Amino acid sequence: MKKFNLFFNIEKEEQWLNGQLQKGYRCTNISGWGIYSFEKTDKRYVMRLDYQEHLSKNQFEEYKGIYEDFGWHYIKGGWLGGLRYWQKEEDGQDELFSDRQSKGSYYNRLMGYSLMLGMLCLFFSFMLYKDTGFSELYFKGLWDMEGSLFWKAFLFETPFVLLKLSPAILVVVFSSTYYKAYRKYTMLKEK
Amino acid sequence: MKHKLLPLSETMHYILLALREPLHGYAAMQKIEEMSKGSVILAAGTLYGAIENLNKHGWIECVGDAGRRKIYEITAEGRDILKVEQERLSHILSLYEGSEPNEEV
Repeated sequence: MKKFNLFFNIEKEEQWLNGQLQKGYRCTNISGWGIYSFEKTDKRYVMRLDYQEHLSKNQFEEYKGIYEDFGWHYIKGGWLGGLRYWQKEEDGQDELFSDRQSKGSYYNRLMGYSLMLGMLCLFFSFMLYKDTGFSELYFKGLWDMEGSLFWKAFLFETPFVLLKLSPAILVVVFSSTYYKAYRKYTMLKEK
Repeated sequence: MKHKLLPLSETMHYILLALREPLHGYAAMQKIEEMSKGSVILAAGTLYGAIENLNKHGWIECVGDAGRRKIYEITAEGRDILKVEQERLSHILSLYEGSEPNEEV
Protein backbone atom coordinates (compact mmCIF):
# COMPACT_ATOMS: atom_id res chain seq x y z
CA MET A 1 0.00 0.00 0.00
CA LYS A 2 1.30 3.41 -0.91
CA LYS A 3 0.12 6.66 0.57
CA PHE A 4 0.91 10.21 -0.29
CA ASN A 5 1.22 12.89 2.33
CA LEU A 6 3.16 16.08 2.90
CA PHE A 7 4.17 17.29 6.32
CA PHE A 8 5.82 20.43 7.57
CA ASN A 9 5.83 19.29 11.16
CA ILE A 10 7.84 16.29 12.34
CA GLU A 11 5.61 15.48 15.29
CA LYS A 12 2.47 15.50 13.14
CA GLU A 13 4.21 13.20 10.66
CA GLU A 14 5.15 10.82 13.47
CA GLN A 15 1.56 10.76 14.72
CA TRP A 16 0.20 10.06 11.27
CA LEU A 17 2.72 7.27 10.66
CA ASN A 18 1.88 5.58 13.95
CA GLY A 19 -1.80 5.92 13.08
CA GLN A 20 -1.14 3.84 9.95
CA LEU A 21 0.92 1.31 11.91
CA GLN A 22 -1.91 0.83 14.39
CA LYS A 23 -4.14 -0.27 11.55
CA GLY A 24 -1.86 -3.30 11.15
CA TYR A 25 0.81 -2.04 8.81
CA ARG A 26 4.52 -1.56 8.90
CA CYS A 27 6.38 1.03 6.92
CA THR A 28 8.77 -0.30 4.28
CA ASN A 29 9.91 2.80 2.47
CA ILE A 30 9.61 6.55 2.40
CA SER A 31 10.41 8.34 -0.81
CA GLY A 32 11.65 11.87 -1.02
CA TRP A 33 8.38 13.10 -2.48
CA GLY A 34 6.00 12.22 0.29
CA ILE A 35 5.20 8.68 -0.81
CA TYR A 36 5.02 6.27 2.10
CA SER A 37 4.94 2.51 1.44
CA PHE A 38 3.36 0.12 3.91
CA GLU A 39 2.76 -3.59 4.08
CA LYS A 40 0.32 -5.64 6.14
CA THR A 41 1.68 -7.31 9.25
CA ASP A 42 0.39 -9.28 12.24
CA LYS A 43 2.88 -7.66 14.56
CA ARG A 44 2.59 -4.26 16.11
CA TYR A 45 5.17 -1.71 15.12
CA VAL A 46 5.99 1.75 16.31
CA MET A 47 7.82 4.57 14.51
CA ARG A 48 9.84 7.43 15.88
CA LEU A 49 11.37 10.36 14.03
CA ASP A 50 14.71 11.68 15.09
CA TYR A 51 16.54 14.69 13.79
CA GLN A 52 20.33 14.57 13.55
CA GLU A 53 22.24 16.62 11.07
CA HIS A 54 25.87 16.67 10.00
CA LEU A 55 26.72 13.09 10.87
CA SER A 56 30.01 12.05 9.34
CA LYS A 57 30.15 8.53 7.94
CA ASN A 58 31.74 7.29 11.15
CA GLN A 59 29.29 9.11 13.36
CA PHE A 60 26.38 7.81 11.35
CA GLU A 61 27.58 4.22 11.71
CA GLU A 62 27.91 4.66 15.46
CA TYR A 63 24.49 6.34 15.63
CA LYS A 64 22.82 3.65 13.53
CA GLY A 65 24.63 0.86 15.38
CA ILE A 66 23.44 1.97 18.79
CA TYR A 67 19.84 2.41 17.63
CA GLU A 68 19.92 -1.02 15.99
CA ASP A 69 21.18 -2.60 19.19
CA PHE A 70 18.01 -1.31 20.82
CA GLY A 71 15.90 -2.98 18.13
CA TRP A 72 15.29 0.05 15.94
CA HIS A 73 15.26 -0.44 12.20
CA TYR A 74 16.40 2.46 10.04
CA ILE A 75 14.10 3.53 7.24
CA LYS A 76 15.71 5.75 4.69
CA GLY A 77 13.80 8.79 3.79
CA GLY A 78 13.08 12.41 4.16
CA TRP A 79 13.10 15.06 1.48
CA LEU A 80 15.83 16.95 3.28
CA GLY A 81 18.77 15.49 5.15
CA GLY A 82 18.70 15.29 8.91
CA LEU A 83 15.33 13.63 9.43
CA ARG A 84 15.76 10.00 10.52
CA TYR A 85 12.94 7.49 10.50
CA TRP A 86 13.10 4.58 12.96
CA GLN A 87 10.74 1.65 13.30
CA LYS A 88 10.63 -1.23 15.74
CA GLU A 89 8.31 -3.88 17.06
CA GLU A 90 6.39 -2.59 20.05
CA ASP A 91 7.80 -3.95 23.31
CA GLY A 92 7.24 -1.30 25.94
CA GLN A 93 10.62 0.40 25.32
CA ASP A 94 9.31 2.43 22.44
CA GLU A 95 10.76 5.87 22.99
CA LEU A 96 13.99 7.29 21.63
CA PHE A 97 14.60 9.43 24.69
CA SER A 98 14.42 8.43 28.33
CA ASP A 99 15.30 11.62 30.15
CA ARG A 100 14.34 15.26 30.20
CA GLN A 101 17.72 16.57 29.03
CA SER A 102 17.90 14.47 25.89
CA LYS A 103 14.23 15.11 25.04
CA GLY A 104 14.99 18.82 25.49
CA SER A 105 17.94 18.73 23.13
CA TYR A 106 15.73 16.88 20.63
CA TYR A 107 13.34 19.84 20.60
CA ASN A 108 16.32 22.14 20.43
CA ARG A 109 17.44 20.37 17.24
CA LEU A 110 13.91 20.62 15.84
CA MET A 111 14.05 24.36 16.49
CA GLY A 112 17.22 24.59 14.45
CA TYR A 113 15.58 22.59 11.65
CA SER A 114 12.46 24.81 11.47
CA LEU A 115 14.61 27.91 11.68
CA MET A 116 16.76 26.78 8.78
CA LEU A 117 13.74 25.93 6.59
CA GLY A 118 12.01 29.15 7.61
CA MET A 119 15.04 31.25 6.68
CA LEU A 120 15.32 29.44 3.37
CA CYS A 121 11.70 30.27 2.54
CA LEU A 122 12.17 33.83 3.73
CA PHE A 123 15.09 34.15 1.35
CA PHE A 124 13.03 32.74 -1.55
CA SER A 125 10.17 35.09 -0.70
CA PHE A 126 12.52 38.01 -0.75
CA MET A 127 13.92 37.04 -4.14
CA LEU A 128 10.44 36.46 -5.52
CA TYR A 129 8.68 39.56 -4.26
CA LYS A 130 11.43 42.14 -4.07
CA ASP A 131 10.71 43.65 -7.51
CA THR A 132 6.97 43.38 -7.72
CA GLY A 133 5.79 43.21 -4.14
CA PHE A 134 2.42 41.59 -3.61
CA SER A 135 0.55 44.05 -5.85
CA GLU A 136 1.07 42.15 -9.09
CA LEU A 137 0.12 38.70 -7.93
CA TYR A 138 -2.88 38.73 -10.24
CA PHE A 139 -2.77 39.61 -13.90
CA LYS A 140 -3.29 43.39 -14.16
CA GLY A 141 -6.11 43.34 -16.63
CA LEU A 142 -8.11 41.15 -14.29
CA TRP A 143 -9.32 44.08 -12.24
CA ASP A 144 -10.91 45.71 -15.30
CA MET A 145 -13.00 42.67 -16.13
CA GLU A 146 -16.61 42.48 -15.09
CA GLY A 147 -19.23 40.03 -13.99
CA SER A 148 -18.84 36.33 -14.59
CA LEU A 149 -15.76 36.83 -16.74
CA PHE A 150 -14.01 38.42 -13.78
CA TRP A 151 -14.95 35.56 -11.45
CA LYS A 152 -13.89 32.89 -13.94
CA ALA A 153 -10.54 34.58 -14.48
CA PHE A 154 -10.17 35.19 -10.76
CA LEU A 155 -10.82 31.55 -9.88
CA PHE A 156 -8.54 30.40 -12.68
CA GLU A 157 -5.67 32.52 -11.46
CA THR A 158 -6.03 31.91 -7.74
CA PRO A 159 -4.16 28.57 -7.66
CA PHE A 160 -1.22 30.20 -9.43
CA VAL A 161 -1.29 33.08 -7.00
CA LEU A 162 -1.24 30.63 -4.08
CA LEU A 163 1.69 28.89 -5.71
CA LYS A 164 3.51 32.18 -6.01
CA LEU A 165 2.67 32.92 -2.40
CA SER A 166 3.79 29.51 -1.12
CA PRO A 167 7.25 30.61 0.09
CA ALA A 168 5.60 33.31 2.19
CA ILE A 169 3.00 30.84 3.49
CA LEU A 170 5.77 28.40 4.38
CA VAL A 171 7.60 31.10 6.34
CA VAL A 172 4.51 31.31 8.54
CA VAL A 173 4.22 27.50 8.77
CA PHE A 174 7.85 27.04 9.81
CA SER A 175 7.65 29.93 12.26
CA SER A 176 4.78 28.17 13.94
CA THR A 177 6.62 24.80 14.09
CA TYR A 178 9.63 26.66 15.48
CA TYR A 179 7.47 28.20 18.16
CA LYS A 180 5.89 24.84 19.08
CA ALA A 181 9.30 23.20 19.45
CA TYR A 182 10.52 26.20 21.43
CA ARG A 183 7.58 25.89 23.86
CA LYS A 184 8.30 22.21 24.47
CA TYR A 185 12.01 22.90 24.80
CA THR A 186 11.53 25.56 27.48
CA MET A 187 8.97 23.43 29.33
CA LEU A 188 11.50 20.61 29.58
CA LYS A 189 14.29 22.97 30.55
CA GLU A 190 12.49 24.86 33.29
CA LYS A 191 11.87 22.09 35.78
CA MET B 1 31.04 29.18 36.07
CA LYS B 2 30.31 25.53 36.59
CA HIS B 3 30.73 23.13 33.70
CA LYS B 4 27.46 22.85 31.79
CA LEU B 5 27.16 19.12 32.50
CA LEU B 6 27.47 19.67 36.27
CA PRO B 7 25.90 18.63 38.52
CA LEU B 8 25.70 15.38 36.59
CA SER B 9 22.28 14.22 35.45
CA GLU B 10 21.24 10.74 36.51
CA THR B 11 21.94 9.48 32.98
CA MET B 12 25.44 10.97 32.77
CA HIS B 13 26.23 9.80 36.28
CA TYR B 14 25.30 6.21 35.57
CA ILE B 15 27.16 6.17 32.26
CA LEU B 16 30.38 7.46 33.83
CA LEU B 17 30.07 4.92 36.64
CA ALA B 18 29.37 2.07 34.24
CA LEU B 19 32.30 3.01 32.00
CA ARG B 20 34.84 2.51 34.77
CA GLU B 21 35.16 -0.73 32.86
CA PRO B 22 35.37 -0.68 29.03
CA LEU B 23 31.96 -1.36 27.45
CA HIS B 24 30.14 -0.70 24.20
CA GLY B 25 27.00 1.41 24.25
CA TYR B 26 24.37 -1.29 24.51
CA ALA B 27 26.35 -3.19 27.17
CA ALA B 28 26.60 0.05 29.17
CA MET B 29 22.83 0.38 29.01
CA GLN B 30 22.39 -3.20 30.29
CA LYS B 31 24.92 -2.64 33.05
CA ILE B 32 23.12 0.55 34.09
CA GLU B 33 19.79 -1.27 34.23
CA GLU B 34 21.39 -3.77 36.59
CA MET B 35 23.26 -1.14 38.66
CA SER B 36 20.09 0.88 39.15
CA LYS B 37 18.01 -2.23 39.99
CA GLY B 38 15.91 -1.68 36.91
CA SER B 39 15.02 1.93 37.64
CA VAL B 40 17.17 3.51 34.92
CA ILE B 41 16.62 2.09 31.45
CA LEU B 42 18.23 4.33 28.86
CA ALA B 43 16.65 4.76 25.45
CA ALA B 44 18.71 4.67 22.27
CA GLY B 45 18.69 8.39 21.51
CA THR B 46 19.48 9.32 25.09
CA LEU B 47 22.41 6.90 25.24
CA TYR B 48 23.78 7.99 21.87
CA GLY B 49 23.55 11.69 22.75
CA ALA B 50 25.14 11.17 26.16
CA ILE B 51 28.05 9.16 24.75
CA GLU B 52 28.66 11.83 22.07
CA ASN B 53 28.54 14.55 24.68
CA LEU B 54 30.82 12.83 27.21
CA ASN B 55 33.23 11.92 24.44
CA LYS B 56 33.28 15.52 23.19
CA HIS B 57 34.18 16.77 26.66
CA GLY B 58 36.91 14.18 27.00
CA TRP B 59 35.33 12.44 30.00
CA ILE B 60 35.12 9.13 28.17
CA GLU B 61 37.06 7.89 25.17
CA CYS B 62 36.87 5.20 22.54
CA VAL B 63 39.35 2.47 23.45
CA GLY B 64 38.73 0.01 20.63
CA ASP B 65 35.93 -1.83 18.91
CA ALA B 66 34.14 -5.13 18.97
CA GLY B 67 32.95 -5.72 15.44
CA ARG B 68 31.05 -2.60 14.42
CA ARG B 69 30.53 -1.49 18.01
CA LYS B 70 32.82 1.07 19.61
CA ILE B 71 34.06 0.42 23.12
CA TYR B 72 34.26 3.32 25.54
CA GLU B 73 35.98 3.84 28.85
CA ILE B 74 36.15 6.69 31.34
CA THR B 75 39.22 8.99 31.13
CA ALA B 76 41.30 10.44 33.97
CA GLU B 77 39.37 13.66 33.57
CA GLY B 78 36.12 11.72 33.83
CA ARG B 79 37.31 10.11 37.06
CA ASP B 80 38.10 13.58 38.48
CA ILE B 81 34.54 14.61 37.68
CA LEU B 82 33.23 11.56 39.53
CA LYS B 83 35.39 12.53 42.56
CA VAL B 84 33.93 16.04 42.59
CA GLU B 85 30.43 14.60 42.33
CA GLN B 86 31.12 12.06 45.05
CA GLU B 87 32.17 14.83 47.44
CA ARG B 88 29.12 16.90 46.59
CA LEU B 89 26.79 13.96 47.10
CA SER B 90 28.41 12.75 50.32
CA HIS B 91 28.03 16.23 51.71
CA ILE B 92 24.35 16.19 50.87
CA LEU B 93 24.07 12.71 52.40
CA SER B 94 25.75 13.93 55.56
CA LEU B 95 23.08 16.60 55.81
CA TYR B 96 20.47 13.82 55.69
CA GLU B 97 22.15 12.13 58.62
CA GLY B 98 21.97 15.34 60.61
CA SER B 99 25.69 15.31 61.45
CA GLU B 100 25.93 18.98 60.48
CA PRO B 101 22.99 20.75 62.07
CA ASN B 102 22.38 24.45 61.43
CA GLU B 103 25.60 25.64 62.98
CA GLU B 104 25.26 29.27 62.10
CA VAL B 105 21.77 29.75 63.47
